[in-house]
Amino acid sequence: MKKKHTITLTVNGYKEELEIPSNLTLLHMIRENFALTGTKNGCEAGECGACTVLVNGKPVNSCMVLAVECDGAEIMTIEGLTESGGLDQLQQSFIEHNAIQCGFCTPGILITAFAFLQSNPHPSETEIREALVGNLCRCTGYERIIQAVLDTTLE
Amino acid sequence: MENSDQLPELIGKSVARIDLKEKATGEAVFTDDLQFGNNLLYARIKRSPYPHALIKSIDTSEAERLPGVKAVVTGADFAGRIGLYLKDRHIIARDRVRYVGEPVAGVGAVSEEIAEKALELIQVDYEPLPAVFLPQEAIKPGAPLIHPDLGKYDVVNFIFPEPGTNISNHFKVRKGDLEKAWQDCAVIVENEYYIPHIQHVPLETHVAVAQVDHSGKITLWTSSQSPFAQRDLIAKTWGMSPSDIRVISPYVGGGFGCKAGVTMEALPIVIAMKAKGHPVKLRLTREEEFYTNFVRQALLIRLKMGCDADGNILAMENTMYWDGGASTEYGVNIARAGGYSCTGPYDIPNVRADSYCVYTNNTIGGPYRGFGMSELHTGIEQCVDELADKIHMDKVAFRKQNVVAAGDTLATGMVMHPTGISHCIDIVAEAIEWGKTSKPGSPHKKRGKGIAVMWKAPAMPPNPGSSATLKFNSDGTVFLSIGGQEIGQGAFTVAAQIAAAGLGVPIDWIRISKPLDTDYSSYEWQTVASRITWTMGNAILAAVKDARNQIFKIVAEAWHENEADLDIKDGIVCSSISDREISLKDFVITGIPKKNYQGWIGGPIIGRGNFMPTYVTGLDKETGQGERAVVHFTTGAQGFIVEIDTQTGKLEIIKAVSAFDVGKAINPDLVKAQIEGGMMQGISSALFEQLVFKEGVLQNPNFVDYRIATTMDTPEQMECYYVEVPQDDGPFGARGVGEHPMVPTIAAIGNAIYDAVGVRLEGPPFTAEKLCLAIKQHNHKEK
Amino acid sequence: MNNPHSRLPEFEYIRLDSPESTTAFLKDYPGQAYPLLGGTDILVAFRDRRIQPKYLVDLKHLDGFDSFNFSPNKGLTIGATVTLNQIISSKIIQGHYPILGQAAKQVGGYQLRNRATLVGNLCNASPCGDTIGPSMLYSGELDIFGTNGAKSIPLKDFYLGPGKTSLQPGEIVRSINFPIPPDQHKGVYLSFGRNKLSDLALVAVTVLAYPQKRAPSGFSFRIALSAVSPTIIVVEEAQTLLSEQPITLSSLEKAAEIALNQCRPIDDIRASKKYRRELVYTLTLRALQQLWNSFQS
Repeated sequence: MKKKHTITLTVNGYKEELEIPSNLTLLHMIRENFALTGTKNGCEAGECGACTVLVNGKPVNSCMVLAVECDGAEIMTIEGLTESGGLDQLQQSFIEHNAIQCGFCTPGILITAFAFLQSNPHPSETEIREALVGNLCRCTGYERIIQAVLDTTLE
Repeated sequence: MENSDQLPELIGKSVARIDLKEKATGEAVFTDDLQFGNNLLYARIKRSPYPHALIKSIDTSEAERLPGVKAVVTGADFAGRIGLYLKDRHIIARDRVRYVGEPVAGVGAVSEEIAEKALELIQVDYEPLPAVFLPQEAIKPGAPLIHPDLGKYDVVNFIFPEPGTNISNHFKVRKGDLEKAWQDCAVIVENEYYIPHIQHVPLETHVAVAQVDHSGKITLWTSSQSPFAQRDLIAKTWGMSPSDIRVISPYVGGGFGCKAGVTMEALPIVIAMKAKGHPVKLRLTREEEFYTNFVRQALLIRLKMGCDADGNILAMENTMYWDGGASTEYGVNIARAGGYSCTGPYDIPNVRADSYCVYTNNTIGGPYRGFGMSELHTGIEQCVDELADKIHMDKVAFRKQNVVAAGDTLATGMVMHPTGISHCIDIVAEAIEWGKTSKPGSPHKKRGKGIAVMWKAPAMPPNPGSSATLKFNSDGTVFLSIGGQEIGQGAFTVAAQIAAAGLGVPIDWIRISKPLDTDYSSYEWQTVASRITWTMGNAILAAVKDARNQIFKIVAEAWHENEADLDIKDGIVCSSISDREISLKDFVITGIPKKNYQGWIGGPIIGRGNFMPTYVTGLDKETGQGERAVVHFTTGAQGFIVEIDTQTGKLEIIKAVSAFDVGKAINPDLVKAQIEGGMMQGISSALFEQLVFKEGVLQNPNFVDYRIATTMDTPEQMECYYVEVPQDDGPFGARGVGEHPMVPTIAAIGNAIYDAVGVRLEGPPFTAEKLCLAIKQHNHKEK
Repeated sequence: MNNPHSRLPEFEYIRLDSPESTTAFLKDYPGQAYPLLGGTDILVAFRDRRIQPKYLVDLKHLDGFDSFNFSPNKGLTIGATVTLNQIISSKIIQGHYPILGQAAKQVGGYQLRNRATLVGNLCNASPCGDTIGPSMLYSGELDIFGTNGAKSIPLKDFYLGPGKTSLQPGEIVRSINFPIPPDQHKGVYLSFGRNKLSDLALVAVTVLAYPQKRAPSGFSFRIALSAVSPTIIVVEEAQTLLSEQPITLSSLEKAAEIALNQCRPIDDIRASKKYRRELVYTLTLRALQQLWNSFQS
């Protein structure tokens, strides 16, 4: 029953090849097989957004994607957002706005916002809120997060 | 040389949090991120499907034989009970189960999948027992007795269980002459409110990894607000020395109280004891987080309040039935806190309060941000509004007239200290333009304004201690070892700020020794009760003073000057009477050479200090009277402008305003961040959240049907203020504020709803459905 | 109550080369083999053990399943793999089928909609499925592929009950076709949840209208109600009323009244039937008013 699939994929720019079972989710593959623990497990039901990663440039709840479906895909996690030690503009803005408290929701929010801004570089505040409605935060009350994202678009 | 009137530059400065970069990059390590290697075992727990039942038999033989299974445990493996204030809980159920979800067996296996398969092979034979789900039912004689052995449980001396009943604590307040006072009242209001269970919903669910070595020593990695309390509780329960238990806690992804005390952490320990040498990890799924661990107790509160013709509140009768759930080891203190806080922040001369912590067959009630104050004020502040109405007084003026002030004798006999609650009320009233009506956005919408005040004291045993150690490095930087945990509130940052300010060094010279590790970190009772800035801050200043004493002694000797003339600025020791200077890095490890190198002065500096309040007294069992019930109160006020769509019942918050007396805002931006987040959590609890139990079974253990506030549910405008009436024994005058922003919220919104549409619901959540149907019924009645 | 589960159960992920071999496989293992598109409904059900699959058969790579073709005479064909976010951002949808985009926006969150598909949402057959109402009012027709080849079923004949469609074992939906909507049509999709966005609909109303010279009122209306019956209701009686009587506040209110009388909501954990009835009336009236106002300006 435990048939394994061989998949090749790119994770944060690195080419990977591995054997995985059918029922492994992308979330668990990222956290366990690749030990990329920046992506978090918040609900495993596609509701909280803490597990958001990019698959072929699009933000998805990695708990709702099977690893085997990612054969040939390009994955980016929060670790991929920080290129060679520098911070992405979004990360910098979050720091400036003190938009982080416990930090558990932060990677998912940064990835979602990053991808959203790639295809919507000048959103309204409402559009940002709508794009982040699938990212739950319990600590901050969201205001600083929205401001931090909005500020990166006002250039 | 210090001018005690002048605060150091760092105090009152919004320095950047010191953990931002690692959290923004995803590098910050949480417990489930720790890497353990191939010998890691995964634990899964078999849970009771019944709210109350006898366990007739458990057969684990098939599970034990499943390949990959290394340990199977049941209640038979451990007889001890655990509990913070009352030892009433078995780690794994033994003879009976008392709530749906209670652990009845556990498995440690090489994968979660195998562990789950093993659970399915465990056969449990139950005999269901009659169950009870409401505290007012459970308190009646003849109700199913949930803890027949209540009289045998270890209990601290300030909790008063009533064996032979389901009452695990009965706290009483008796002050003045209530019967006479009612007669002097011009108006009396009597009401009942029900505040249902909610859950903390930390984004990071509970997770713990336990390893027991062959000598029996335990190491526990866990997302914890209380590593030292956990160590001590585990030690007591297992009859071990605390020094043989090591608790390590990395960053916590949200606690809000649910990661205090010992709950699920004990489970992997029991399993690890049967699989010695293996680390065993248990991570709760989101569903398990909702109902198997800690929830906020439900409360039925019955209030009777009366005032004289001039609007002075004369009397209050307050009966609280706390739904403690199946175990009230922690919840008993919530009932106590509700008891000594029973009047709310009001000066009421005649008081009768009975606060009952009651066992039911619901999920375990535990500490939740506010520790009973949210639920208590939901009752009091709505009742006060009704009282003001009945006496035809403005609701803000009524409150200002009656709130506590310095010198008032409180319900327990304690004398109130200076507090800025009146100022907070003024700020909030002005910010929501109290007295002016707000025009709604469209014809079928109505607007209303509401206000509520609050108080809360840190709820603790009378003697909770903090300590801190400063360990210098050869470049003058300092490792600050504390036991206060970073759960998102900014504790590490404030600790560094206080240490740097007190010591006289730049803030980036202070490094927090992390993760918290009971083998190395300085002792801290728990990170709860909004106490950390205050108590840990004091301990840090004591350690700073100790370090400075050592430093000045050395330098004074080297310079032949007086210690009193020395100070440290920016990491450099300087003198007020000469222009000598020496950088800390030059001598904090290696000392200062004597003239011509004829010997040395000094050596490695270690500063140490502690703080423990020593003035809290016990309270009389029958009257709740005592000289000093609590350390202090933080007070505050909140106001809302709401807009209700009368056809759908949907409530929008136009403006939300908070003001709290924090004594001294060490880091103003972090104070504001706490107020923002707390207000939002309060709004979420007011509008959306309820754990829906049906015969003890939770109907909504998931985000689909347990709704919390999202980015789209925030107020149009949110304003956060603080005032500073110094805390006499706080670091630079500071007092805590972590929990307080969600305390008055439900009541304030409830009051705003009444102002808008003239209806008062029995309790939160104030959902669109409840509002819509209540408005319809109200309009029907009006016709 | 079941023990909560932390991982997906064991199953085998299957990817076959052609639609023919895929449908044959699904037919050979009824009740054991499930088709996979976005996975956002099915994976949750798997983890909760509400269904126990043996095989999960991916459809996303199959020929003919990823179409997105618009032509001024044939209308719009949307393949099974097209995601809800693709629909929301499509200029064709925005210009020609706007209420479909409006409804798609109500499903889940931004990330979820990069996986969830329109066809998946339709086949899930939830009584409160957001995209069903608009898809029905746009006269959607499903292109169904089975072991006997392809056939076409109007969406209005597709639903048998909550979670139940007329799909036979082995049949999969390859695409949905929407004919060109009536000239100058406008529509409104109103859904009401517990949160402002991202919740399931407690009640949802879809209305669509277009100028119709033959109608006494000058307009033809289409009205669908969601979450208030086992399957989506098209309120034909209200449609007829609004086509025969002059459009006034009074006739709109009557239409809303009819909608109220036709709905059969239940009590569940999300809302009571009493409240749903209030919402049906209010939302239907508001949707119609909004729609009518848009024709006035």
